[in-house]
Amino acid sequence: MTSQPQSVLTSTPTQTVQAFLDAFARHDIDAAIAVADPQVSVTVHPLGLHQTGPDALRQVLADLVRGFPDLVISVSRVITTGDVVAALFKAEGTQSADYAGAINQEKHLDIDQAWRFVVGGGLITEVTAYWCQAQLYRRLAVKRYDEIAIA
Amino acid sequence: MTEVSQRLRTAESAAGVVTEFFDRYREHDVEGMTDLCSINADFSYVPVELWGKQRVVRGDGKVGTVGKPLWTGLMASFPDLSNTVHAITSNDDGDVVAQVDIEGTQQLAWGLITPAGQHYREPHLFIFGVGADLLIDSITAYWNDADISQQLGHTEVD
Repeated sequence: MTSQPQSVLTSTPTQTVQAFLDAFARHDIDAAIAVADPQVSVTVHPLGLHQTGPDALRQVLADLVRGFPDLVISVSRVITTGDVVAALFKAEGTQSADYAGAINQEKHLDIDQAWRFVVGGGLITEVTAYWCQAQLYRRLAVKRYDEIAIA
Repeated sequence: MTEVSQRLRTAESAAGVVTEFFDRYREHDVEGMTDLCSINADFSYVPVELWGKQRVVRGDGKVGTVGKPLWTGLMASFPDLSNTVHAITSNDDGDVVAQVDIEGTQQLAWGLITPAGQHYREPHLFIFGVGADLLIDSITAYWNDADISQQLGHTEVD
Protein backbone atom coordinates (compact mmCIF):
# COMPACT_ATOMS: atom_id res chain seq x y z
CA MET A 1 0.00 0.00 0.00
CA THR A 2 1.39 3.44 -0.86
CA SER A 3 0.92 6.46 1.34
CA GLN A 4 -1.21 9.31 0.04
CA PRO A 5 0.56 12.68 0.15
CA GLN A 6 -1.12 15.12 2.51
CA SER A 7 -2.27 18.54 1.32
CA VAL A 8 -0.76 20.10 4.40
CA LEU A 9 -1.12 23.71 3.27
CA THR A 10 -4.92 23.53 3.30
CA SER A 11 -5.38 21.32 6.34
CA THR A 12 -6.96 22.54 9.54
CA PRO A 13 -5.48 21.26 12.81
CA THR A 14 -8.42 18.88 13.10
CA GLN A 15 -7.89 17.53 9.59
CA THR A 16 -4.17 17.06 10.19
CA VAL A 17 -4.75 15.07 13.36
CA GLN A 18 -7.59 13.13 11.78
CA ALA A 19 -5.25 12.17 8.95
CA PHE A 20 -2.73 10.95 11.51
CA LEU A 21 -5.35 8.96 13.42
CA ASP A 22 -6.83 7.45 10.25
CA ALA A 23 -3.40 6.33 9.11
CA PHE A 24 -2.53 4.95 12.55
CA ALA A 25 -5.84 3.06 12.64
CA ARG A 26 -5.05 1.34 9.34
CA HIS A 27 -1.45 0.64 10.51
CA ASP A 28 -0.06 2.88 7.75
CA ILE A 29 2.80 4.32 9.74
CA ASP A 30 4.38 6.10 6.77
CA ALA A 31 1.15 8.01 6.17
CA ALA A 32 0.88 8.90 9.85
CA ILE A 33 4.43 10.18 9.96
CA ALA A 34 3.84 12.17 6.76
CA VAL A 35 1.83 14.73 8.75
CA ALA A 36 4.54 15.17 11.40
CA ASP A 37 6.91 18.12 11.32
CA PRO A 38 10.61 17.22 10.84
CA GLN A 39 11.23 18.71 14.29
CA VAL A 40 8.17 17.20 15.98
CA SER A 41 8.48 17.00 19.75
CA VAL A 42 7.42 13.56 20.98
CA THR A 43 6.53 12.84 24.60
CA VAL A 44 5.03 9.52 25.63
CA HIS A 45 4.72 9.75 29.39
CA PRO A 46 4.00 6.05 30.11
CA LEU A 47 7.16 5.06 28.22
CA GLY A 48 9.27 7.84 29.72
CA LEU A 49 9.98 9.01 26.16
CA HIS A 50 10.93 12.62 25.40
CA GLN A 51 12.52 12.98 21.98
CA THR A 52 12.49 15.12 18.86
CA GLY A 53 11.90 14.04 15.30
CA PRO A 54 9.59 11.77 13.30
CA ASP A 55 11.71 8.68 13.92
CA ALA A 56 10.78 8.76 17.60
CA LEU A 57 7.10 8.87 16.70
CA ARG A 58 7.57 6.17 14.08
CA GLN A 59 9.13 3.91 16.71
CA VAL A 60 6.22 4.41 19.11
CA LEU A 61 3.66 3.49 16.45
CA ALA A 62 5.72 0.64 15.03
CA ASP A 63 6.25 -0.94 18.44
CA LEU A 64 2.51 -0.89 19.08
CA VAL A 65 1.65 -2.41 15.71
CA ARG A 66 4.37 -5.04 16.03
CA GLY A 67 3.34 -5.92 19.58
CA PHE A 68 -0.36 -6.01 18.69
CA PRO A 69 -0.76 -6.86 14.98
CA ASP A 70 -4.56 -6.79 15.22
CA LEU A 71 -4.48 -3.35 16.86
CA VAL A 72 -7.77 -1.48 16.59
CA ILE A 73 -7.89 2.26 17.29
CA SER A 74 -11.37 3.49 18.19
CA VAL A 75 -11.52 7.26 18.42
CA SER A 76 -14.25 8.53 20.73
CA ARG A 77 -13.55 12.28 20.60
CA VAL A 78 -11.39 14.77 18.76
CA ILE A 79 -11.36 18.10 20.58
CA THR A 80 -9.90 21.13 18.84
CA THR A 81 -8.88 24.14 20.93
CA GLY A 82 -7.05 26.48 18.58
CA ASP A 83 -3.89 24.80 17.33
CA VAL A 84 -4.15 22.12 20.03
CA VAL A 85 -6.09 18.95 19.24
CA ALA A 86 -6.80 16.31 21.86
CA ALA A 87 -7.76 12.85 20.63
CA LEU A 88 -9.39 10.37 22.99
CA PHE A 89 -9.33 6.79 21.81
CA LYS A 90 -9.19 3.17 22.86
CA ALA A 91 -6.40 0.91 21.65
CA GLU A 92 -7.29 -2.78 21.53
CA GLY A 93 -5.35 -5.77 20.37
CA THR A 94 -3.88 -9.15 21.16
CA GLN A 95 -0.25 -9.28 22.18
CA SER A 96 1.91 -11.16 19.70
CA ALA A 97 5.37 -9.88 20.58
CA ASP A 98 7.13 -8.36 23.57
CA TYR A 99 5.99 -4.82 24.30
CA ALA A 100 7.31 -2.24 26.76
CA GLY A 101 9.32 -4.97 28.49
CA ALA A 102 6.33 -7.31 28.87
CA ILE A 103 6.84 -10.74 27.37
CA ASN A 104 4.21 -12.03 25.00
CA GLN A 105 1.54 -14.10 26.77
CA GLU A 106 -1.05 -13.52 24.02
CA LYS A 107 -3.18 -11.39 26.33
CA HIS A 108 -5.81 -8.98 25.07
CA LEU A 109 -5.16 -5.30 25.60
CA ASP A 110 -7.69 -2.50 25.82
CA ILE A 111 -6.40 0.86 26.97
CA ASP A 112 -8.08 4.25 26.92
CA GLN A 113 -5.65 6.94 25.88
CA ALA A 114 -5.46 10.68 25.31
CA TRP A 115 -3.01 12.19 22.84
CA ARG A 116 -2.50 15.94 22.76
CA PHE A 117 -1.27 17.33 19.45
CA VAL A 118 -0.03 20.80 18.56
CA VAL A 119 -0.37 21.62 14.88
CA GLY A 120 1.38 24.34 12.91
CA GLY A 121 1.53 24.88 9.15
CA GLY A 122 -0.56 21.79 8.57
CA LEU A 123 1.91 19.53 10.38
CA ILE A 124 2.03 18.05 13.87
CA THR A 125 4.75 19.91 15.74
CA GLU A 126 4.19 18.35 19.14
CA VAL A 127 2.57 15.19 20.41
CA THR A 128 2.15 14.14 24.03
CA ALA A 129 0.61 10.76 24.82
CA TYR A 130 -1.10 9.80 28.05
CA TRP A 131 -2.21 6.36 29.13
CA CYS A 132 -1.88 4.30 32.27
CA GLN A 133 0.92 1.78 32.16
CA ALA A 134 -0.55 0.05 35.24
CA GLN A 135 -3.65 -0.76 33.19
CA LEU A 136 -1.47 -1.97 30.33
CA TYR A 137 0.65 -4.22 32.54
CA ARG A 138 -2.42 -5.51 34.36
CA ARG A 139 -3.93 -6.63 31.06
CA LEU A 140 -0.65 -8.20 29.94
CA ALA A 141 -0.44 -10.22 33.20
CA VAL A 142 2.61 -8.38 34.54
CA LYS A 143 2.65 -8.56 38.34
CA ARG A 144 5.53 -6.30 39.37
CA TYR A 145 7.09 -3.14 37.96
CA ASP A 146 10.55 -4.34 38.95
CA GLU A 147 10.06 -7.70 37.22
CA ILE A 148 8.14 -6.75 34.11
CA ALA A 149 9.61 -9.49 31.91
CA ILE A 150 8.82 -12.27 34.39
CA ALA A 151 5.49 -13.95 33.86
CA MET B 1 -36.10 43.56 40.33
CA THR B 2 -32.69 42.05 40.75
CA GLU B 3 -30.28 42.59 37.92
CA VAL B 4 -28.48 39.42 37.01
CA SER B 5 -25.01 39.74 35.62
CA GLN B 6 -24.31 36.71 33.46
CA ARG B 7 -21.05 36.12 31.65
CA LEU B 8 -21.17 34.61 28.22
CA ARG B 9 -19.37 31.36 27.60
CA THR B 10 -16.39 31.96 25.39
CA ALA B 11 -13.12 30.13 25.02
CA GLU B 12 -11.60 32.62 27.44
CA SER B 13 -14.32 32.41 30.09
CA ALA B 14 -14.34 28.59 29.92
CA ALA B 15 -10.59 28.55 30.42
CA GLY B 16 -11.05 30.95 33.31
CA VAL B 17 -13.39 28.53 35.07
CA VAL B 18 -10.82 25.74 34.76
CA THR B 19 -8.02 28.00 35.96
CA GLU B 20 -10.14 28.81 39.01
CA PHE B 21 -10.80 25.10 39.51
CA PHE B 22 -7.08 24.34 39.77
CA ASP B 23 -6.54 27.38 42.01
CA ARG B 24 -9.14 25.98 44.42
CA TYR B 25 -7.64 22.49 44.05
CA ARG B 26 -4.27 23.93 45.10
CA GLU B 27 -5.96 25.45 48.16
CA HIS B 28 -7.63 22.08 49.00
CA ASP B 29 -11.01 23.79 48.68
CA VAL B 30 -13.04 20.74 47.67
CA GLU B 31 -16.35 22.50 48.25
CA GLY B 32 -15.15 25.36 46.07
CA MET B 33 -14.07 22.94 43.34
CA THR B 34 -17.47 21.27 43.48
CA ASP B 35 -19.22 24.64 43.40
CA LEU B 36 -17.66 25.23 39.99
CA CYS B 37 -19.37 22.08 38.69
CA SER B 38 -22.97 21.51 37.70
CA ILE B 39 -25.03 19.41 40.10
CA ASN B 40 -24.90 16.39 37.78
CA ALA B 41 -21.42 16.87 36.35
CA ASP B 42 -19.83 13.74 34.89
CA PHE B 43 -16.54 12.51 36.26
CA SER B 44 -14.00 10.05 34.85
CA TYR B 45 -10.51 9.43 36.19
CA VAL B 46 -9.61 6.89 33.52
CA PRO B 47 -6.63 5.17 35.24
CA VAL B 48 -8.59 4.48 38.42
CA GLU B 49 -9.63 0.83 38.51
CA LEU B 50 -9.60 -1.56 41.44
CA TRP B 51 -9.84 -5.20 40.42
CA GLY B 52 -11.75 -7.33 42.87
CA LYS B 53 -12.65 -10.99 42.59
CA GLN B 54 -16.03 -10.35 41.08
CA ARG B 55 -16.03 -6.80 39.81
CA VAL B 56 -13.88 -3.86 38.83
CA VAL B 57 -14.44 -0.53 40.57
CA ARG B 58 -13.63 2.35 38.23
CA GLY B 59 -13.19 6.07 38.73
CA ASP B 60 -16.29 6.86 36.71
CA GLY B 61 -19.48 8.53 37.84
CA LYS B 62 -20.43 11.98 38.99
CA VAL B 63 -18.37 14.77 40.52
CA GLY B 64 -20.60 14.76 43.60
CA THR B 65 -20.46 11.03 44.28
CA VAL B 66 -17.07 9.92 42.92
CA GLY B 67 -14.97 13.01 42.31
CA LYS B 68 -15.52 14.76 45.61
CA PRO B 69 -14.69 11.75 47.83
CA LEU B 70 -11.69 10.96 45.65
CA TRP B 71 -10.32 14.52 45.94
CA THR B 72 -10.94 14.51 49.68
CA GLY B 73 -9.14 11.19 50.08
CA LEU B 74 -6.19 12.37 47.99
CA MET B 75 -5.81 15.47 50.14
CA ALA B 76 -5.94 13.37 53.31
CA SER B 77 -3.30 10.94 52.06
CA PHE B 78 -1.13 13.67 50.52
CA PRO B 79 -1.51 16.70 52.82
CA ASP B 80 0.78 18.84 50.65
CA LEU B 81 -1.06 17.88 47.45
CA SER B 82 -0.55 20.56 44.83
CA ASN B 83 -0.74 21.19 41.11
CA THR B 84 1.15 23.08 38.46
CA VAL B 85 -0.81 24.12 35.39
CA HIS B 86 1.38 24.09 32.29
CA ALA B 87 -1.14 24.81 29.53
CA ILE B 88 -4.84 25.45 29.21
CA THR B 89 -6.47 25.67 25.79
CA SER B 90 -10.17 26.04 25.08
CA ASN B 91 -12.83 26.71 22.48
CA ASP B 92 -16.16 28.55 22.35
CA ASP B 93 -18.03 25.25 22.80
CA GLY B 94 -16.68 25.03 26.34
CA ASP B 95 -14.10 22.32 25.72
CA VAL B 96 -10.99 22.88 27.82
CA VAL B 97 -7.76 20.86 27.63
CA ALA B 98 -5.35 21.25 30.53
CA GLN B 99 -1.83 19.89 31.01
CA VAL B 100 -1.25 19.76 34.74
CA ASP B 101 1.30 18.17 37.04
CA ILE B 102 -0.14 16.83 40.28
CA GLU B 103 2.25 16.19 43.17
CA GLY B 104 2.24 15.35 46.83
CA THR B 105 3.95 13.53 49.67
CA GLN B 106 2.23 10.43 51.00
CA GLN B 107 1.30 10.41 54.69
CA LEU B 108 -1.62 7.97 54.71
CA ALA B 109 -2.47 4.85 52.72
CA TRP B 110 -3.70 5.49 49.19
CA GLY B 111 -5.41 2.52 47.58
CA LEU B 112 -3.04 -0.42 47.96
CA ILE B 113 -0.04 1.81 48.61
CA THR B 114 1.16 2.00 52.19
CA PRO B 115 2.66 5.35 53.22
CA ALA B 116 6.44 5.60 53.13
CA GLY B 117 6.72 9.37 53.10
CA GLN B 118 7.57 9.37 49.40
CA HIS B 119 6.82 12.23 47.03
CA TYR B 120 5.29 11.92 43.57
CA ARG B 121 4.87 14.30 40.69
CA GLU B 122 2.95 13.12 37.64
CA PRO B 123 1.84 14.78 34.37
CA HIS B 124 -1.92 14.68 33.85
CA LEU B 125 -4.14 15.60 30.90
CA PHE B 126 -7.54 16.93 31.90
CA ILE B 127 -10.46 17.35 29.51
CA PHE B 128 -13.23 19.60 30.82
CA GLY B 129 -16.62 20.45 29.43
CA VAL B 130 -17.90 23.83 30.56
CA GLY B 131 -21.59 24.52 30.03
CA ALA B 132 -23.27 27.68 28.80
CA ASP B 133 -23.87 28.55 32.47
CA LEU B 134 -20.09 28.51 33.01
CA LEU B 135 -20.31 25.49 35.25
CA ILE B 136 -18.13 22.46 34.60
CA ASP B 137 -20.34 19.64 33.35
CA SER B 138 -17.67 17.00 32.76
CA ILE B 139 -14.15 16.17 33.93
CA THR B 140 -12.00 13.45 32.38
CA ALA B 141 -8.38 12.85 33.33
CA TYR B 142 -5.55 10.65 32.09
CA TRP B 143 -2.20 9.88 33.68
CA ASN B 144 0.17 7.00 34.31
CA ASP B 145 -0.67 5.42 37.64
CA ALA B 146 2.27 3.00 37.35
CA ASP B 147 4.66 5.91 37.58
CA ILE B 148 2.95 7.24 40.69
CA SER B 149 3.09 3.81 42.35
CA GLN B 150 6.78 3.46 41.64
CA GLN B 151 7.56 6.98 42.87
CA LEU B 152 5.78 6.08 46.11
CA GLY B 153 7.83 2.89 46.46
CA HIS B 154 5.09 0.44 45.48
CA THR B 155 6.40 -2.10 42.97
CA GLU B 156 3.39 -4.38 42.63
CA VAL B 157 0.91 -3.72 39.82
CA ASP B 158 -1.98 -4.64 42.16
